[in-house]
Amino acid sequence: MKKILIIEDDEIVRNELKELLCNALYEAICIDIKENILEEILKIPADLILLDIGIPYINGEILLKSIRKSSNIPIIMLTSRVGEIDEVLSMSYGADDYITKPYNPTILLLRINAVLKRAENKIKETIFYHDLTVDIKKGVVKKSDEEIILTKNEMLIFLCLYEKIGSIVARDELMTSLWSNDEYINDNALTVNISRLRSKLRELGVEDAILTRKGQGYILL
Amino acid sequence: MNLKNYLKDKYIYFLIISFTYFIILSFMWGFKVSKIVILTLTFLYFMLFFILFLIDYLRKYFFYQNLQINLQKLNEKYLICELVSKPDFIEGTILVDTLYEINKSMSENLASYKKQNIEFREYVELWIHEVKIPLSALILYVHNHSVSPKILKEIENIDEYLEQILYYVRSENSEKDYIIKDVKLKQVMREIMLKNKNVLLSKNISVQIDVDDICVLTDYKWLLFMINQIFSNSIKYMKDIPNKKIDVKAYLDNNKIILAIKDNGIGIPKSDITKVFQKTFTGKNGRKLGSSTGMGLYIVKSLCKKLGHKVEIESKEDEYTKVILTFDNNLYYKDVTKM
Repeated sequence: MKKILIIEDDEIVRNELKELLCNALYEAICIDIKENILEEILKIPADLILLDIGIPYINGEILLKSIRKSSNIPIIMLTSRVGEIDEVLSMSYGADDYITKPYNPTILLLRINAVLKRAENKIKETIFYHDLTVDIKKGVVKKSDEEIILTKNEMLIFLCLYEKIGSIVARDELMTSLWSNDEYINDNALTVNISRLRSKLRELGVEDAILTRKGQGYILL
Repeated sequence: MNLKNYLKDKYIYFLIISFTYFIILSFMWGFKVSKIVILTLTFLYFMLFFILFLIDYLRKYFFYQNLQINLQKLNEKYLICELVSKPDFIEGTILVDTLYEINKSMSENLASYKKQNIEFREYVELWIHEVKIPLSALILYVHNHSVSPKILKEIENIDEYLEQILYYVRSENSEKDYIIKDVKLKQVMREIMLKNKNVLLSKNISVQIDVDDICVLTDYKWLLFMINQIFSNSIKYMKDIPNKKIDVKAYLDNNKIILAIKDNGIGIPKSDITKVFQKTFTGKNGRKLGSSTGMGLYIVKSLCKKLGHKVEIESKEDEYTKVILTFDNNLYYKDVTKM
């Protein structure tokens, strides 16, 4: 389980963020903001830091700069300030991403996921599912000598479900993932895409790969 | 100031001088002074006044003429004090000193308003950033505790109104708090779409985006705000028909980049179309819907003006509305940054 350190001074936002991350199967750590927070941060073996810019004692941007002096840990800046200048400054101090409040929770999770993957250099080209090989770059699913082409949408849906294999993925999550890849489809099209993906997997011998949970979402088994 | 005006101004002196002359003349006649003496004295008398007035006229003429010409040429008239040289006659000195005093006190007055204005703007910005914190908490809470999505919609509305005032404050201010860089339209559109995803899906509006890989030189956040305003208008003023749609298209045209956003909504009446960019103009559509501030497009226009873009609107009532943003395609800049 990935550990995410939350540095945020607003207690309610902090607690809700913690809950959001826990629901998304991350381990969230919160620390109180004190004067010498830097040492404490560096002691925690986290995989990623969510850092608020407007924290007391020390400005988030300055803190970012001092963390960067001794650590390469992925950092996502959170801020309520809306301005290109803050963003450029943060990025130049070495932030991996920058998100303005109020953030959409699903998008926040997507960006966290993306930053973590980039940090691990784990952008896979092929994944294995049951006895199938999925070639992401080519957009095909293979089983020994059989090969079926997945459309871009189907591949995105498959990857999104695969990411959380065995647990429910909400329709909204699938939708957000598709829309963040410039595929602006509507509800009906999503249903159609899922049933197409299901039948393609069936053709390759995986029966009932995707379960529908009414009102909740889908599960890849 | 010319001679005519000067003489007109001094006519009372001439009356007194002439009157005095006639008294002196009658005295001289009474004492039987010889004609030659009278003539000489008359000549000397008038010569004296002529020279006095000539000197006076010339001194004033150069000062006032200079003042008036400078004033006419000057765009910012209040800077006139910087251009006058100190005159050597009393009225002029008084005038210049008075101007200086007026100017100084007005500057002080103005400075206090400027300070107030800046302080207010800073407070508004700070306040907006403060409000965004509880808003974030609310959004996270709604997401974590599966509260009705209707509440989320309302929170998103609040956020949109907050953005509006933030950019209003920014557009009214002379400070440059933007950064111009190459902005990918595709990326802007992606963020806009994700922002409006819920409402687009629930209203079943299909969006066609055709922007290729076109980049424009602008401030990312400002452009995002502008397009979002246009988008939320399109969504707000949609017709209740089965194939609701918004088309976004970008293309090059004569060294300009055009971004056109067209919807098939209720359109704008002909009588209103010229006024949609005016501050607080709501028009027929605004009255119909009731929740219009009339600020959105006005702010879009002011931001465009600051960034050097152009915004136009075309519409046919009951058929469509098309908003066209025009950007300069600065080839020189692009060549330099590519090097």
